[in-house]
Amino acid sequence: MTTVTPVQTPVRPGTPAHVPGVPGDTVLSVRGLRKDFTLHTIDGRTVDALHGVDLDVRPGEHVALAGTSGAGKSTLLRCVYRTYLTGSGHIWFRTAGGELLDVAALPDADAAELRGQEIGYVSQFLRPQPRRSVISIVASAGVARGMGRADAREAAAAALRQVAIAEHLWDTHATVLSGGQKQRVNIAAGTIAPPRLLLLDEPVSALDPANRAAVLDLIARLEETGTAVLSVFHDLDAIERLATRVVVLGGGQVLATGAPGEILHDPNLPLEVAR
Amino acid sequence: MSTHTPQSRPWALKVSGLGRIYGDPSPASLTGTGPEHGTAVSPSTGAVVAAWDVSFEVAPGEALGIIGESGSGKSTVMRCIAGDEAATTGGIALRSVADGTVNLCDLLPSARRRLRLKDIAAVYQDPAAGLNLDVTAGGNIADPLTAVGWRSYDGIRQRAAELLERVEVPLSRMDDLVRTFSGGMRQRVQIAKALANDPPVLLLDEPTTGLDASVAAGVLDLLRGLLEETGVAAVVVSHDFGVIDMLTRRVLVMKHGRVVESGLTDQLLEDPQHPYSQQLVAAARG
Ligand SMILES: Nc1ncnc2c1ncn2[C@@H]1O[C@H](COP(=O)(O)OP(=O)(O)OP(=O)(O)O)[C@@H](O)[C@H]1O
Ligand SMILES: [Mg+2]
Repeated sequence: MTTVTPVQTPVRPGTPAHVPGVPGDTVLSVRGLRKDFTLHTIDGRTVDALHGVDLDVRPGEHVALAGTSGAGKSTLLRCVYRTYLTGSGHIWFRTAGGELLDVAALPDADAAELRGQEIGYVSQFLRPQPRRSVISIVASAGVARGMGRADAREAAAAALRQVAIAEHLWDTHATVLSGGQKQRVNIAAGTIAPPRLLLLDEPVSALDPANRAAVLDLIARLEETGTAVLSVFHDLDAIERLATRVVVLGGGQVLATGAPGEILHDPNLPLEVAR
Repeated sequence: MSTHTPQSRPWALKVSGLGRIYGDPSPASLTGTGPEHGTAVSPSTGAVVAAWDVSFEVAPGEALGIIGESGSGKSTVMRCIAGDEAATTGGIALRSVADGTVNLCDLLPSARRRLRLKDIAAVYQDPAAGLNLDVTAGGNIADPLTAVGWRSYDGIRQRAAELLERVEVPLSRMDDLVRTFSGGMRQRVQIAKALANDPPVLLLDEPTTGLDASVAAGVLDLLRGLLEETGVAAVVVSHDFGVIDMLTRRVLVMKHGRVVESGLTDQLLEDPQHPYSQQLVAAARG
């Protein structure tokens, strides 16, 4: 896996390097996160998703979120990526430059910049991709995270090989790929020049066993690069293999947190994913 | 609702407190208008408050969308920025003009028109608004070049050829009248003309509306590539979330002349806050 000097978000005047209650060594510290949705087009009803979640992720750590369907796992990832707005609470992200930024309160343009450079997101659903070649999609993710164009293209080729995307597909438009192929292209783009924080929401859900194994290997190797990973996997085997810590969500709150060995075999925790 | 108030971020275009009223421009015309009143028409003066209190910045290399249904004021905002019509109030600044210290609204119309050559370009829904249909593709593109002082015939032809290639129009069509072109091709020529002098700011008003779906998709791909490569700051006005989603990173939602919400484009689509934005997204999802 290729590493590059991370792009440093320019230091903004007035951004703290320390916040009380936030450990000095985390990449991500979520504090008191609440999120609900007001559905104006239905009848103005409110759907509660998260009620006060605290969570830390450190460099090289892989924290897996577990819990039943609707527990709020995806909502949490999306709040961190700013695809969802936070209701209240803080999402402290420590940049490569050492500043602590509250993603929940960051101006849109700053959040957009942080995304391209320091926070990656690979989801179970694939956002509409323009009709661009597979390799250019992966390479531009590398460029956004500080690679030169030529290096990015080489790294993109290596990443595509790792996720077993056949070379004859590299120059075709991503729109013609199968669901599983798209998911692997997404993973390649998410892990090239790995961001400081990578959010994974069921990144292997569409893959057959062989491809699934290849992608899990790739994710396992992220630890070496110091990337902090916050993930949701639908199967407990993947969690057991990859996670350094598991956080169980239920009813929008943290029910338990601990090593995979302890948590995954605890019969009292709601871990099965209803589907 | 989030607001963007970048303090030290570089910008290419800055719009502040922009307003455009058709009819009596006195403050009395504002009363009773806006989304909470369900109308842009003043009940007392009959004036139309087409746009009010619109503010945003666009950074080099960034594309900002403005979405809203027809009559929401989005095209009015674009026409005021382009200088096609005069704003009633507010500020418009380009970094390329006196380092952003001049309010374009204070310029004489002739000075304002000159900015359209090099500093800011627009692409309209209707190619006839941006092109002379009875002139060749090459001739249309030559226009902005000669206006800024290009003299060499060969140089101009070469630049025109380069631009046509960029927008994927066959060079064999360079000397054909634009009137003989298909809709998608006309739009490509309009884009080539807009880019002729490498403007730092590009305005796109419904650039694919009215084209067949597959033709529109091709033009969108082209625009997406150009926005990524050129580092131009773009404002994309559209009623279509598909277009906004494909081209922009941030978006403003307008209704009855006012901005009701702004945010990152994917956030607006996945977690819209304002009832009107939720309605628009629900409609787009079908
Ligand atoms: N965009 C949204 N608008 C309205 N409600 C939402 C939205 N996203 C999530 N929710 C609600 O928030 C709650 C948590 O959903 P979330 O998708 O986070 O669960 P999850 O733990 O990821 O479940 P799964 O395992 O099924 O993916 C649910 O009640 C869901 O309906
Ligand atoms: Mg989920």
